[in-house]
Amino acid sequence: MVDEEEIIRVAKLMKVDLEDHVEHVGRVKKMLEYFDILDQIDLSSEEITSQEKSLLDLRKDEFIPHDKLLIESLKNFREHYVRAPKMN
Amino acid sequence: MNLNTSILQYIEDVKSGSFTVEEFVTETLQRIKDVDEKVHAYISLNDSAINDSKLIDKKITSGENVGKCYGFPISIKDNICITGTKTTCASKILENFVAPYTATVVNRLNDEDVVITGKTNLDEFAMGLTTEFSAYGPTKNPWNLNYVPGGSSGGSAASVAANECLASLGSDTGGSVRNPASFCSVVGLKPTYGLISRYGLISYANSIEQIGPMTKTVKDSAFLLNVISGQDVNDDTTINNNNPDYLQNIENGIEGKKIGIIKEMTTSDGLSSEVSNATKEVIHDFESLGASCDEVSLPTIPYTVAAYYTITSTEAGSNLARYDNIRYGYEMESEGYEYNSYISKSRTKFGPEVTRRIILGGFVPSAGHAGKYFLKALKVKSKLISEINSSFEKFDYLIAPTAPVQPFQFGEKIDDPVTLMLLDYNTVTANLTGKPAISIPYRVSNGLPIGMQIMANTLEEKSLFQAAYALETKTKLPEVPL
Amino acid sequence: MTKIGLEIHCQLTKLESKLFCSCKANYREFKPNHNICPVCMGLPGSLPRLNQKAVESATSIALALNCTTPEKIAFFRKNYFYPDLPKNFQITQLNVYGDMSVGGEGYVDVEGKKIKITRIQLEEDPGRLIYEGTSERTKTTLVDYNRAGTPLVEIVTDPDFENPRQVRVFLNILSDLLENLGVAEPGLEGAMRADGNVSIEDGNKVEIKNIGSFHDLEKALHFELTRQQSLSERDIEIVMETRHWDDRRKITISSRSKEEDQDYRYFLENDIPWVKINQETRDNLKKNMPESIGSKRERYVEKYDIAPQVADILSSDKYYSELFESAHDESNAKDVANLITTDLLSFIDTKEKKQTSKVTSQHLSDLVNAVNSKILTRNSSKIALQEIVKSGKSVNDLLEEMDIGQVSNSSEIENIISKIFEEEKQAVIDAKERPETVNFLVGKVMQKTKGKADPVKTLELIKSKLEQ
Repeated sequence: MVDEEEIIRVAKLMKVDLEDHVEHVGRVKKMLEYFDILDQIDLSSEEITSQEKSLLDLRKDEFIPHDKLLIESLKNFREHYVRAPKMN
Repeated sequence: MNLNTSILQYIEDVKSGSFTVEEFVTETLQRIKDVDEKVHAYISLNDSAINDSKLIDKKITSGENVGKCYGFPISIKDNICITGTKTTCASKILENFVAPYTATVVNRLNDEDVVITGKTNLDEFAMGLTTEFSAYGPTKNPWNLNYVPGGSSGGSAASVAANECLASLGSDTGGSVRNPASFCSVVGLKPTYGLISRYGLISYANSIEQIGPMTKTVKDSAFLLNVISGQDVNDDTTINNNNPDYLQNIENGIEGKKIGIIKEMTTSDGLSSEVSNATKEVIHDFESLGASCDEVSLPTIPYTVAAYYTITSTEAGSNLARYDNIRYGYEMESEGYEYNSYISKSRTKFGPEVTRRIILGGFVPSAGHAGKYFLKALKVKSKLISEINSSFEKFDYLIAPTAPVQPFQFGEKIDDPVTLMLLDYNTVTANLTGKPAISIPYRVSNGLPIGMQIMANTLEEKSLFQAAYALETKTKLPEVPL
Repeated sequence: MTKIGLEIHCQLTKLESKLFCSCKANYREFKPNHNICPVCMGLPGSLPRLNQKAVESATSIALALNCTTPEKIAFFRKNYFYPDLPKNFQITQLNVYGDMSVGGEGYVDVEGKKIKITRIQLEEDPGRLIYEGTSERTKTTLVDYNRAGTPLVEIVTDPDFENPRQVRVFLNILSDLLENLGVAEPGLEGAMRADGNVSIEDGNKVEIKNIGSFHDLEKALHFELTRQQSLSERDIEIVMETRHWDDRRKITISSRSKEEDQDYRYFLENDIPWVKINQETRDNLKKNMPESIGSKRERYVEKYDIAPQVADILSSDKYYSELFESAHDESNAKDVANLITTDLLSFIDTKEKKQTSKVTSQHLSDLVNAVNSKILTRNSSKIALQEIVKSGKSVNDLLEEMDIGQVSNSSEIENIISKIFEEEKQAVIDAKERPETVNFLVGKVMQKTKGKADPVKTLELIKSKLEQ
């Protein structure tokens, strides 16, 4: 069983405000409960794999300046610095 | 001029002078004006579409080299970046995001002289199966405006089905190209993972998603794949496919080929009766084309939906973390806010489904729960890959209906999250394993489309198109009533 | 027993480009936010592209620190929110699915003690934050992303250090080693940072973060040791926690409340495939590494008969060892070595001076040859060297311009000696009584001739005059 308090704590961690979305806790719980099905399958012999690439196929180390002044197409900047809210 | 034509036919017609690019594009734009208020396939339109088509006409008349596409009109899902255009992912949080660079697939299309009609609607951040989760309103199914078009590439599918363009680029993470293709009766391909560059596709679940072409015919799909596929320096996950011509030998047929009917995806209690009947019929069709059909079991399939949502919500939670409205997003003054409260406040702009997925994505890989959920999901993925690889040793193709049901009415499935998730039951396997899969229109029953899905082994798109084309020759479908 | 461990971050500023894009690795010359692109800004739809040379450099570092290196490396996401992190996750390395970071266990020899390396990983640096405004309430945070994506190598040590002094020695050895490898410039501002962890009497480990420089690190370690010792004396438990270094107040402060909630949700970075580094590649990297400091030092002592302390200084500094290698010939290695370590070192004692210095190996070779053929005195060569560092003029030019040619003419020297004997009558008496004080008189002659007099001849002539 998934704890409602935990869901709210996770929402905080993920920086999504649950205050207007309390109904969602119920749905999230339902989805998590469905995921319990994963307990029923034997995965003991499985390994995690991934795509692989050779070192030689990686990007060559070259400086190539970006062709446009990117900062001007983003928001919230003053004299080229990006302004963020104050930190605690 | 018939808007219900294929890319290849269109190109022939332009080449032979039956009409100009400008004429066809103008007619298309008029069609959009006429029907899109009802269908709502588009989020934004390309203002310079007419100008672009004029330029291509000029090239044609002056004898200059014209790109392969000859100016055919194409729509692009609004989670793919095009310089200077608003790219919203159907979310309020990117309401004002104007992309400062262009996706590789769009560059490749533009290099071949395509005309972009506009950006199409989707479930917010591609998370959904019905396009009902778009923050800009849902798209309607052109076959019946009270019914969903499928998702998340609902706008893309509907724009093609309603003749508002000749093709579209969608994205497929768990079925998001194939599912709406099935619901709207168009051809939708999810290629091998790594075949098409994701540079410029706004990430939802980057380990399994791919851009996929949506077209009226199988040959059109192959044509588009020729233009947009292939290794890209901007995407380290793209693989070298040796650039074959996907149209070549597409009519070879499937005589002697072995087809596996996926048991777990075709059980009668999992499918609606119409879909079940259609499945029985398609087996006959394949056999009459000279292939042999046999049942095959992939016992891991019942666990794939849970694994899929566990993996994708984890990746989504991380991929969407960057949306804190500081570098780009929408207008919201940061004066007076402290950092953490600003971010939380700005992220209330996420819609409810996205919010839920992000929460799931914070939960399932977290230190206390990763063992039970996330790591297990990764192992389900590995197990599924072994199983399907074994099947492909015996079979050339694996088939099943794309969706277990026909399109349904708005609001019908949206309240139960598990029912909604299970719509992906037949499609997530291709994403988790990275194998190519195509959905082709097969039946329209009671006015609602049914699509059939064919899967092939890794990088076997040429072979996949042969099977799809063969089946297509056997299907006769009505025209869209819109 | 005191146990100190370190977490060192070193920027690979000798690379041309950042870890995942082609913006410049060394961002220092750019205006704010002028060294960015869609990738390092983490714009929607952008994808990382791994820098081949960064992997090679990091692997070389691992090899130089005697670490194991794996056949495949993988990257992970460390997820957390911070304004200097464009994607709100950092791409880094972890050893979750087996050993997949660039370097595994290794060691560094510090004054005979083996300091064990736990692991080495490759990761990206975040951007930089600047705080504007004086009042706490109006402070805006300004962000410069020029540094975001700069390649970093993180070197983690076992808690093998016994005291802060050992840490300092280790960091010097490590800086020299990294500079010698040609992958980093530890002298650059902010290029090398270190965090630490401290425990005493086998008690709980306390991590200290936010340390700006090596200088601050020593201070922080001393403070933390004192803090822990005083707690222990009063029988108060030392809590296992993370503290951060407050540079203004020079103390460590508990950051426990922030760290508690932190869950990084580590998982594989799927936009970067696992990279295969086969044995052949690793062997080639090892073969092509520049000669190690230890090896140079041995060679200088054994082949050139250079004094060990001189060899130490020469071998551990890349700038000087390179000058030495090209300046000396078969016969004068010792002299060149001494010229560098005694004289040159005193003129070029900061990194800025190293950068602006105009000295070349030709200059050094010319000076040494001039002294050996008695055209210049040792003293004059020092004066000339100082000028060369500033202006780069050739030794020949300076001989003319500065009038520093050695005075070897006996009668000239005798004249000056006579003058000195007149002026320094007491010193003459002292010298007669206690011969060891004769150097005072020699010094006076050198002074009068501005160092040009042949010192050997001068001493001879003074001695004989004293006997008269």
